[in-house]
Amino acid sequence: MNQRYGDVSFEDRMSHVDFRVAEQPHIVVDTDVCRSCTTKTCVHACPANLFVPTAEGGILFNYEQCFECGTCYLMCDGGNAISWSYPDGGQGVVFRHG
Amino acid sequence: MAEPLRPLVVALLRWTDARARIDPLSGEVETDPRGAGPSEADRCALEHALRIAEAAAGRCVAVTLAPEPAEELLRDALACGADAVLRVDVPSWDSRVPDSGATTARALAHAIRTELGEPSLVLTGDHSADRGTGSTPAFLAAELGCAQALGLVELSYADGELLALRRLDRGRRERLAVPLPAVCSVEPAGLRLRRAALPSTLAARTATIPVVTGSVAAEPVTAHAARPFRPRAKELPPPPEADPRLRLLRLTGAHEHREPPRVVVTDDPAEAADELLEYLRGKGYL
Amino acid sequence: MRDRAGPASSAVTVAEPERPQFDAIVVGAGPAGSAAALELARAGHSVALLERGPFPGSKNVYGGVVYGRILDELIPGWYDEMPVQRWVTRRQTMLLDGERSMTVDFRSQSWGRAPYNGATTYRAEFDDWLAGHAQKAGAVLVPSTVATRLLRTERGRIVGVRTDRPDGDLTAKVVIACDGVNSFLAKQAGLFPGDQAAHTTLGVKETLALPARTIDERFGVSGHEGVDIEMLGCTQGIPGGGFLYTNSDTLSVGLVLGLQGLAKSGKRPEEVLAELKRHPSIQPLVRGAELVEYSAHLIPEGGYDTMPQLVGDGLLVAGDAAAMCLAAGIWLEGVNFAMGSGMYAGRAASKALSSGDLGALREYRGLLESSFVLADHKKLRKAPELVLSERVQQRYPGLVCDLVELMFTVENPKPKPGVRKLLRASAKRNGVKMRELARDALTGLRSFG
Repeated sequence: MNQRYGDVSFEDRMSHVDFRVAEQPHIVVDTDVCRSCTTKTCVHACPANLFVPTAEGGILFNYEQCFECGTCYLMCDGGNAISWSYPDGGQGVVFRHG
Repeated sequence: MAEPLRPLVVALLRWTDARARIDPLSGEVETDPRGAGPSEADRCALEHALRIAEAAAGRCVAVTLAPEPAEELLRDALACGADAVLRVDVPSWDSRVPDSGATTARALAHAIRTELGEPSLVLTGDHSADRGTGSTPAFLAAELGCAQALGLVELSYADGELLALRRLDRGRRERLAVPLPAVCSVEPAGLRLRRAALPSTLAARTATIPVVTGSVAAEPVTAHAARPFRPRAKELPPPPEADPRLRLLRLTGAHEHREPPRVVVTDDPAEAADELLEYLRGKGYL
Repeated sequence: MRDRAGPASSAVTVAEPERPQFDAIVVGAGPAGSAAALELARAGHSVALLERGPFPGSKNVYGGVVYGRILDELIPGWYDEMPVQRWVTRRQTMLLDGERSMTVDFRSQSWGRAPYNGATTYRAEFDDWLAGHAQKAGAVLVPSTVATRLLRTERGRIVGVRTDRPDGDLTAKVVIACDGVNSFLAKQAGLFPGDQAAHTTLGVKETLALPARTIDERFGVSGHEGVDIEMLGCTQGIPGGGFLYTNSDTLSVGLVLGLQGLAKSGKRPEEVLAELKRHPSIQPLVRGAELVEYSAHLIPEGGYDTMPQLVGDGLLVAGDAAAMCLAAGIWLEGVNFAMGSGMYAGRAASKALSSGDLGALREYRGLLESSFVLADHKKLRKAPELVLSERVQQRYPGLVCDLVELMFTVENPKPKPGVRKLLRASAKRNGVKMRELARDALTGLRSFG
């Protein structure tokens, strides 16, 4: 197998996408709920890799490079730990080749 | 302001695609009108213009020099509260005018004068996101024959006086009182463009955008080739030492006595100039 | 904090507006919304078309082909003006298993001539083009505006939407929600049946740049001809599938992954995609291509049985918001169903507005049932379940590859075995009971036949 054209790094992958970052986050995670969550599905299911588990069992979340797909809130096992919304109008991801 | 009756505040917005793609092989630049818009600095300039026009009970007009797809940007400006807009048309295939600060300034000054009247204040972003050098506001000040203050981070207008703040080196700030009329360029700092209300957005969606042709009298200068300056390589004789190790040491410059760099710190410009001259004289440059 | 749309948001109760600002508000300028706005504007009604992105299409991702027949009705002569990347003249269905693959490859040059069959496009261009038609017909496009809440009277009738702009309430006689797969508006109206995660899939896609000539050579096409490949068995046990299609100078390769399967697998979506790109059947196609965009989007794949109620009091739901994506194995369509449902929603709304009787909105469902939109969905209602079943996903690709491999592996001097014997052997090797195979074949026949 030819590994030379293997995969790009995740940062590189995301650098090709146009994100217009809003001032206000459109995702807010209640990490108190996350501490009792055993699966933490959002961490690996999020295609933009926005959720990072912390050593204390909580979740560190980002919103800047979000695809606004909705996977995280649909997959959230901890009840409603993730309050999710769309970014303000005109902000957020802009696909050119979608 | 210069005229007490409805002073004219113009916000110049440059229409650029900040995410232009460059073909690595051909060097061709691909832009997408859908993603294009004003730079963050231009958006700041518009917000300043709106605030100053409000404070001075003036008229705020947004002007752009761009082809037709840029109307979207002017509609946004209208929605945000600009009293009027104006598009100075350039053909989308011809980048000579937008690429040259001097010709852009000439076309804009002509359009503003004939369509809108003498401006009291012209505001724009300090650099455009693409090829702009930031020279347009300076040229524009020359064209309009008014004062200029460039690269501002703060602007405030009160009682007919325009005060500005500019960033200097080493974290210093320069406070300026700007006489009017003036051309000011602002950095994307301090404030953000307001979000347009829904009723004004709806009104702006169907508004007609006035257009004038950006006539340019003279052909702008076109650069046919640009190369970086490359001084010719100079041959140096090898160090005279017989021992290769010593020769190497000489070449690397290790263990040699050197004068430490001199840092001059003074608040007095005259003193600083004297210091500088003495230094140059000591080095044999003068 | 500003009002926001979200899974937990609810409608706002307002007084009945005396004079609604518009006849209709269409939320979302995707294919469904633009088609609805186009129909309404053509019938002379005032329409506001809200879009949360800076331009139509900026938030949208799809999996490959726009089928144009519905456009014949919507925009006659569409194929001369639509922003097309390539016309699909070659269609492949590929079963992958380990290092093997089995492909059914069909080509028809007539698909590359008017009236054409399907085309690949970029959604930023396509959706913008379609919304442009709605605008030309008189609809008012309002970009960069999120519809956060429904406005509802005390009697429960929907009379408008609240947007995230200052002074942002907008009223109308009819609201058409084309606000995509997450459709918070349909949820606020209480039209959604519930467990969405169970029948929603995540699509991830890479757009890869290659010179047009290289694409022509690798895929055996020329000029404006293009290829669409649908794949099965490439998702490492996660229910779903893959796709690869050609644009003029890029390839789009992506995966569709069932959300619950993805959660269980513990794998990252882009890693599964990277694995697909390393498959010996795919790797030579994408070799050396440079990534230009990575994207992700949810897809409502449940089909007919998971659709929300399509009509509320003063509200219609169309497109992905109404789960109009058809994911039935050999047929994978979405944009045409969105346009179709949007068009009929626009027609029903227009009729109700003209007659002054909003009860006529209920005709929307009838219009859909008598057209391909719900007819196809109804007929193929069992298909999504079958396609995403464990057997189709994990055992049949292996079974087919085994069978074909056994058939074409020459074992001289042993004589060739009969196909029936090979089938039995392959079924056994992949843990498929002949009875299950027969039952699935029957279900398939009933759905697809």
